[in-house]
Amino acid sequence: MEKIKFFDCNCQIGRVGYPHLLDVSKVNRLLEEMARAGIEEALVYHSVARYGHPPLGNQLLLDEIKGHDNLHPVWVLLPHHTGEMEPPENLMIKMKNNGIKAARVFPGRTFHGFSLDEWCLGDLLSALESVKMPLFLDIETVSWEEIYNLLIKHPNLPLIISNCSYRHNRYLYPLWDKFDHLYVETSWFMGAGTIEDIVKRFGSKRILFGTNLLRYTGTAAVALITYADISHADKVAIASINLERILNEVWR
Amino acid sequence: MKNYFEHIQSGIPLDDIEIIDIHAHLGPCYNMHIPDNSAAAMIHNMDLCGIDKAVISTTISFDTDIVLGNNMMLEALDSFPGRLYGACSVNGNYPELSLTELERLFKRPEVVMIKVHPYETKCKIDDPRMERIYDFASARRLFILVHTWLDNDPYGNQDMFASVAKAYPQINWIMGHSGGPYGSVHAVEIAKKVPNVFLDTTLSMCPVQQIEYFVKEIGSERIIFGTDNPYLNPKIQVGRIALANITQKDRINIFSANAKRYINFA
Repeated sequence: MEKIKFFDCNCQIGRVGYPHLLDVSKVNRLLEEMARAGIEEALVYHSVARYGHPPLGNQLLLDEIKGHDNLHPVWVLLPHHTGEMEPPENLMIKMKNNGIKAARVFPGRTFHGFSLDEWCLGDLLSALESVKMPLFLDIETVSWEEIYNLLIKHPNLPLIISNCSYRHNRYLYPLWDKFDHLYVETSWFMGAGTIEDIVKRFGSKRILFGTNLLRYTGTAAVALITYADISHADKVAIASINLERILNEVWR
Repeated sequence: MKNYFEHIQSGIPLDDIEIIDIHAHLGPCYNMHIPDNSAAAMIHNMDLCGIDKAVISTTISFDTDIVLGNNMMLEALDSFPGRLYGACSVNGNYPELSLTELERLFKRPEVVMIKVHPYETKCKIDDPRMERIYDFASARRLFILVHTWLDNDPYGNQDMFASVAKAYPQINWIMGHSGGPYGSVHAVEIAKKVPNVFLDTTLSMCPVQQIEYFVKEIGSERIIFGTDNPYLNPKIQVGRIALANITQKDRINIFSANAKRYINFA
């Protein structure tokens, strides 16, 4: 059987102040770990954009992954009101010019210090929605009530919940009963039998392969999919096709 | 040795190496949905990736009823002889009952270990009520698997674990989860100082290069394979150890040889 293509939607490069273990942070180390696990392509954001300052980290990202065609940049965004980032219209042009096809935000007082609600982020969310750019939300940074409200208000925005754990099924299932534009990536979604159960109930299109490299190992994440008790077609969809389908819709 | 990269990529179970999971569970857990927590489902998941045997305990025995949980475990052992083995759960809040359970369960040869969960029972690992439990284990030179989680667990953090392990050198102590995803460095420090401490691979957030780091720092003889099945998917641990940059001898040690050196899986 042909090797499954893996397209990782959740990679980060750059040093962090509180690493899990070792100083594994450079692009070459990401490429090594991807090769070890058999991962061909990845969406990547920069640690400085998350833990430092998004504009600085976003530029570092472009500089550091330049020339690596299998690494695709993801920008971390802020609302424009403080002047740290351009207003949404201008920002969209800048993102398009830099080949950005996915975005992340880190709302909340203990992260980037802004609200996910419409009065604060509504214009930016609408701009992303207008070009169908997928938005990654780290589950650490939001409540499920905020996610529910966002899904209602932005029905054409592909929303990907990142670092969602195996303890979250009871939140996810009722949302998946209601919304088709909600996705989860698999880097921490490690419950036994969960992938199989979701595919049986909802199909495979809601699940996107992710590793959280360079923090977690990619080898565990790949085995989660290849050993799943689902069809080969479902494995392929989760490993790469679902993400590629979402990215192909951006900027069209 | 087979090409494990091809095995993992193709979803083929590892079939040329014995794999024994010493950190597995059974049954429901209050704060998560497990699509199928039965012994049969666990065996199915083990078969999909090539795990031969598992040592199980139930969370029910820690957070609710120790006897009910241990009985669920025994029932599973009866259903899958030669595949499932038991870890007798004990709870320092019930010292007499725990001793009764130890005497009852260790009459069964398939019960091979003890499991302690300080956090779920809210009984500190160094609580005096645990002493007779440790005496029981010490006299039989048993393994005790302890849930540990870095330094934010007031009931069973890594330092508390280390001091108890030092106090009972006849017991083989498994540091469950090796202290969690941020606990690897301290886990190694402890393992270097306390020779009867073993590190456990069970983890949902598997730090990149963790297995290689453990092997480099303490060798592979005191690293034990565990998964948390059926809470966590056991396949992730098979994948990361099969593809770790270590020797095949190290892999054999971690997957089963270390456990077999001390435990009779007859």
